[in-house]
Amino acid sequence: MDVAGLIDTSTGRQSRAIYSDEAVYRQELERVFGRCWLFLAHTSQIPKPNDFFRTYMGEDDVIVVRQKDGSVKAFLNTCTHRGNRICRADRGNARSFTCNYHGWSFAPDGALAGVPLENEAYFGELDRSKFGLVPVAQVAEYKGLIFGCFDPAAPSLEDYLGDAKFYLDVWLDALPGGTSLVGETQKMVLNTNWKLPVENVCGDGYHLGWAHAGAMMAVQSMDLSGLSVGNSSANLEGGLSVAGLNGHMALTSLDGVSGYAFYPEPKPMLDYLEANRPVAIERLGKTRGEQLWGSQINITIFPNLQFLPGLNWFRVYHPKGPGQIEQWTWAMVENDMPEQVKATILDNQCLTFGLAGLFDNDDGDNLAACTEQSRGWRTAQMDVYTNMALGRSGPREGFPGDIAAGLVSEHNQRYFYRRWQEHMQASSWSEVPTYNLNPLASREAVDA
Amino acid sequence: MLDLRQEPALHDAVTALTQRLYHEARLLDEERFEDWLELLCEDVSYHMALKSRRFRADRSAPIAVGAGNVFNDNFARLKLRIDRLRSGFVWAEDPPNFVRRVVSNVEVLPADKPDEALVHSVVVIHRNRIDGQTRLLTAGRTDRWRKGGESWFLAAREIALDHAVLPDSNVNVFF
Repeated sequence: MDVAGLIDTSTGRQSRAIYSDEAVYRQELERVFGRCWLFLAHTSQIPKPNDFFRTYMGEDDVIVVRQKDGSVKAFLNTCTHRGNRICRADRGNARSFTCNYHGWSFAPDGALAGVPLENEAYFGELDRSKFGLVPVAQVAEYKGLIFGCFDPAAPSLEDYLGDAKFYLDVWLDALPGGTSLVGETQKMVLNTNWKLPVENVCGDGYHLGWAHAGAMMAVQSMDLSGLSVGNSSANLEGGLSVAGLNGHMALTSLDGVSGYAFYPEPKPMLDYLEANRPVAIERLGKTRGEQLWGSQINITIFPNLQFLPGLNWFRVYHPKGPGQIEQWTWAMVENDMPEQVKATILDNQCLTFGLAGLFDNDDGDNLAACTEQSRGWRTAQMDVYTNMALGRSGPREGFPGDIAAGLVSEHNQRYFYRRWQEHMQASSWSEVPTYNLNPLASREAVDA
Repeated sequence: MLDLRQEPALHDAVTALTQRLYHEARLLDEERFEDWLELLCEDVSYHMALKSRRFRADRSAPIAVGAGNVFNDNFARLKLRIDRLRSGFVWAEDPPNFVRRVVSNVEVLPADKPDEALVHSVVVIHRNRIDGQTRLLTAGRTDRWRKGGESWFLAAREIALDHAVLPDSNVNVFF
């Protein structure tokens, strides 16, 4: 379907139909989730051969498996015989996956390894090579993050991420030891369209002082770009809304410490930052090492991956129809952190953005109600707006992307919907534009 | 001296602790959080771990740094949650949700300390939410209650949540 009229990025208008229309949703499964690189797992979650992790790509159930040679493969979690789910566990280690229905078994590399009564019932005529697990077309890793893509014609993961890597690396590459996701997966059903939590995190600093006022009162321990309880103030000089990067976004403060603003006792974290700051500056350059590493920095990789170094939650949204998602969250750590710091992070992530998270528990009902208010006969014909700070963006020395000032803006959301529309209008990758606006002049500029 | 291995003492404790659990459930249903805090020991531990679905035969190593928690609270942190709920800014609770707890399967056993009892129970939390929909949360609980004077106080609660995917948008409730 033609979605040209459903979004107008020049005025910041979205039709509410994009949150409730079944036809829009079916097209999203094809053109967004069926086409984009989607986060599958962190390499730390499947460290050993035969380790597996189950996830979704759109609504498709996928198993991600560490191979004997250390590489990673991903398969659709469905038996090639009658379609049953072959792996029912969330994660683990398995030498084979055996279907419950008739006992077909598959090796960790996807090969069909065993068929009961193969000679007697199939008369030895079954060509096993044609019935291996169906692989995800492309699987690639970027500094520990494993992504999969159903579209063989998609650009490489490196190109897909583009200049968003400048911001990704603030977490992935600040210290030599790399990163990990820790803890079990925190899974929650939310009755929301999947785009609403993405836009909530990708650029919406506006809601923080209001929707999360109760949580801020309870745990805020330092300034965050002047944002305050009751939305009574904001310091637009204290942060950046970064977009114009192939649909990826960053929303970041610039003080190098406020990532830990919502730790009731941030001192161990601040000590850690101070002790490691010189290494981060050496590896990331002065701009990122001083201003971004340690800051509150929301990163969004289009379409459904988001994470916040500092608050240290890492999250994907799996769509379950136009009006429902499963939200999956983990805690994220740098491997060079002392064990006590890692434990503090896991604990604070669960406290703030876990299943009983003081902040997280504020968002669900708002997103669900926005979704519900797009389903009525009349409301489905209405619009909603992300028209704050229209036209007030541009280049910013030292940072790639099209940038608006401050954490309170709707600049990023407009780019999110622009990217969504570009994918929805394109019949293949060849029609999807690539843009990394205002690239850094050179690598030296990064290191200056 | 309290000795739960003795028949009359155990019988009295079962009655008193069962009543204590019912009373606690009513305090929470009525959002009498400050009164609920009075039932807790100052060194209370209130814990609900995260878990995942695993094959029975799976022997892979535990997750480094730990599984993580839904609740990992001491007295101060429970108070912090209550401060938030009392802030007047928790929109998901205004208007109030209709919340009712059913406590059952109470089993009282002697603990390793003479003034404490081990108490197993099951709690079902019925929440009729602002959207008009009802969610049910079910959990098993293993408590340690400590005798102080004539009353029992909660020293520790280990909660096993029976949902792989939380069927609600928040856990603004205590179990």
